[in-house]
Amino acid sequence: MAGGNEVNANESKRVVPLNTWILISNFKLAYNMLRRPDGTFNRDLNEFLDRKVPANANPVDGVYSFDVLDRATSLINRVYLSSTKNETQWGISELEKPLSTTEIVPVIVFFHGGSFVHSSANSAIYDTFCRRLVNTCKAAVVSVNYRRSPEHRYPCAYDDGWAALKWVKSISWLKSGKDVSKVHVYLAGDSSGGNIAHHVAVRAAEEGVEVLGNILLHPLFGGEERTESEKKLDGKYFVKIQDRDWYWRAYLPEGEDRDHPACNVFGSRSKSIEGLVYFPKSLVVVAGLDLLQDWQLGYVEGLKKSGHEVKLLYLEKATIGFYFLPNNDHFHCLMDEMKSDLIWVSISLHLKIVKEAFLVGFSLSRFPDRLPVMEEDVLVLIGIRLSS
Amino acid sequence: MKRDRDRGNTEVAAAGGSSTGKLKMWEEQPQPDAGMDELFAVLGYKVKSTDMADVAEKLEQLEMAMGTTTEDGVSLLSTDTVHYNPSDLSGWVDSMLSEFNPTQIGISGHESSPCSSNLIYDDDLRAIPGGAIFSNYDNKRMKLQQPSPAAVPTAVLVDSQETGVRLVHTLMACAEAVQHNNMKLANALVKHVGVLAVSQIGAMRKVATYFAEALARKIYKIYPNDNSLESSYSDALQMHFYESGPYLKFAHFTANQAILEAFSGASKVHVIDFSLKQGMQWPALMQALALRPGGPPSFKLTGIGPPQPDNSDALQEVGWKLARLADTIGVEFEFKGYVANSLADLDVGIFDISPSNDESIAVNSVFELHRLMARPGGIERVLNLIKSLNPEIVTIVEQEANHNGVVFLDRFNEALHYYSTMFDSLETSGLTRPDSQDSLMTEVYLGRQICNVVACEGVERVERHETLAQWRVRMGSAGFDPVHLGSNAFKQASMLLALFGGGDGFRVEENDGCLMLGWHTRPLIATSAWRLRRV
Repeated sequence: MAGGNEVNANESKRVVPLNTWILISNFKLAYNMLRRPDGTFNRDLNEFLDRKVPANANPVDGVYSFDVLDRATSLINRVYLSSTKNETQWGISELEKPLSTTEIVPVIVFFHGGSFVHSSANSAIYDTFCRRLVNTCKAAVVSVNYRRSPEHRYPCAYDDGWAALKWVKSISWLKSGKDVSKVHVYLAGDSSGGNIAHHVAVRAAEEGVEVLGNILLHPLFGGEERTESEKKLDGKYFVKIQDRDWYWRAYLPEGEDRDHPACNVFGSRSKSIEGLVYFPKSLVVVAGLDLLQDWQLGYVEGLKKSGHEVKLLYLEKATIGFYFLPNNDHFHCLMDEMKSDLIWVSISLHLKIVKEAFLVGFSLSRFPDRLPVMEEDVLVLIGIRLSS
Repeated sequence: MKRDRDRGNTEVAAAGGSSTGKLKMWEEQPQPDAGMDELFAVLGYKVKSTDMADVAEKLEQLEMAMGTTTEDGVSLLSTDTVHYNPSDLSGWVDSMLSEFNPTQIGISGHESSPCSSNLIYDDDLRAIPGGAIFSNYDNKRMKLQQPSPAAVPTAVLVDSQETGVRLVHTLMACAEAVQHNNMKLANALVKHVGVLAVSQIGAMRKVATYFAEALARKIYKIYPNDNSLESSYSDALQMHFYESGPYLKFAHFTANQAILEAFSGASKVHVIDFSLKQGMQWPALMQALALRPGGPPSFKLTGIGPPQPDNSDALQEVGWKLARLADTIGVEFEFKGYVANSLADLDVGIFDISPSNDESIAVNSVFELHRLMARPGGIERVLNLIKSLNPEIVTIVEQEANHNGVVFLDRFNEALHYYSTMFDSLETSGLTRPDSQDSLMTEVYLGRQICNVVACEGVERVERHETLAQWRVRMGSAGFDPVHLGSNAFKQASMLLALFGGGDGFRVEENDGCLMLGWHTRPLIATSAWRLRRV
């Protein structure tokens, strides 16, 4: 990193495009006004300032959206779907059919960020991001409008995430695949959303609800200890430690500290997830200029030590919020990675089918017509000889 | 299915209602605001590309100012300062800066400031090096289209039970059959809707029933009675609507907020209400005027209303009631009522405008202006009339929906989504018991609107609601500038909802200087304020 310990507020300008710098600085300053030293929050002004967009059942760039009110929980989920090629059907009538009867269409249950306090599923920044996800990942996206702190502390956000997951799993028109047997769910989230995704995945694994993968974008983890990255990057790239502390105080039960299991997921107070066989594979994206990276890298290590599959995407020069605008390399890198990882997990599903079929002696001709492109070594693993 | 959203597009060929492809629609969309940065636009901000460096610099100044202020000082920015129109980032930053030092707006980074020795100069802002910037950034990649101003974003709150979905599907299929003039199929479908509706309960059932009835009227060409005969009835219906939920209360409250602010400092004020009805908006304004520091102004109210079938003077009765209230609270009050079949019949000469130009005038219209679109030239006439009144402020409250599209099927679908949400909000908010008179009469009130949108045509079709985006274009072209409603109005409207909203489904939303009442994420009503453009 350049420079000494002197806080140089202008370093951030050198590493992000101007739009991004303006966008994130605007949030930063507005949020500074909204957080009160006594721990209360100016909710009205926050909602006033937040740019929101309604859902749009008319396809825009091939994606349409609608909001669903789950009456049992009063939770709003915003659903994003790819518009059909056949334009004679108004979007909503598609709700009678599954997403696909020929291929697997991933359903990404997305938890927006905002440090548990800011933003909503209908915030413009997240609506835009979810729409991009639909197109890039060829997925359906369900964005969860979970309850926020300080009005609703731990564990409300996790409970809402869990309710959303159960709801998504129960929906016939989100199912896909040749036998249309189930909804193929991935959990994803940025910042606090990443934290929520982890905890929901743990619960899912404990209760036998299948999640195919977790995608965490600079997830919010922490602890009482001050890590190197926190000390080194404090205040340099839009984020200050004292702000992070405020948000944890607003989310965690009153009187708790940051070693609480919600925050310090591999700390001494947390239950081990070593035995959780069904905990999904994870893709963890870390921004190299995020002061929380040591916690996130620790999370990756923690997953590995617990015997869980994890892939780390470390974007050295990225700051928080790099994915809000498609004007930089990190954004495209992330999208490419997510796209290929979703396919990767789909491949491994196919792989499972193929392997099992192979083992019971089915002939090659009985395999699905469309085998996805696979890595050479993987093909060799299951005994398929490559033609010369 | 065609998505023809632009006003001014010509009629689509009758038989081929769905023939226009998606491609054509995008071509017809108006271009995004000239010079506005596209990336910001999809995130809800209007920032001119040429202003970006300037905005960045001001953000920096604001940060420095906030950094050198006490925590209490920063806190004041949130509690005491009124914020306006956050979409205008540049304007917002300016207004924040002016809280610290009125002279600091627009100062370039070259001015020295005690706390900073590392000022970045303009050049540095532009020279952002490094691999972070995707230098070959292709503007077409991942470019998101801005929806046309006339596009109605329809957030659909779906009752995700399967029979509900099938019912909606059948209604839409029936409407599509009507669009294609396939009345035999439409007839069969509308009957099927009746069968499906019976298996529903609550809001879904009511909505389906009203839409089915409206479709049946359209199919059999049995049009509803002439509207003008039922004006006293419609007043009564609106009163029940007023009691059944926060909709009208929100409308009145937000409009009054804007009017109060515009009247600040005036000693003579005059409100011209295009939609007087029972005058329910005015007691609250009068109370607020009475409590004004320095004492109330003299208050004149001109109310417009339709002729009564029994020739009674309903307007005067309202005037008397308000006069009695004014007397009690100590506000000097004068009332004039004018009967008109249509606002377009009004002439500026009939208004009792003080020739000495010493009164502050507000023109107010709640759910009234859209009716003018039924006759050619109507809205233009009335907007000109308003201009000639030279008002301080014009407050307009309208339903947030496009029920005036050229294509029947599009109108039908929009209305189905809008009224489904309305009925859902009535039922779920639990503010009135489902069998109470307020509930039942509100359903009739909304049902009549549904019938009008679906079954009527031409001058009979008066429920020609349009969206805020469409009204903005119209008002802008007619020579009006927006007057923004700020965070104080927003906060008070939120408090109003906490009192009258029954639960937490209703929301206030800020939209580029205007306020909208929504049910969860679907806007239902929009309040905007205007003044004459200063040339």
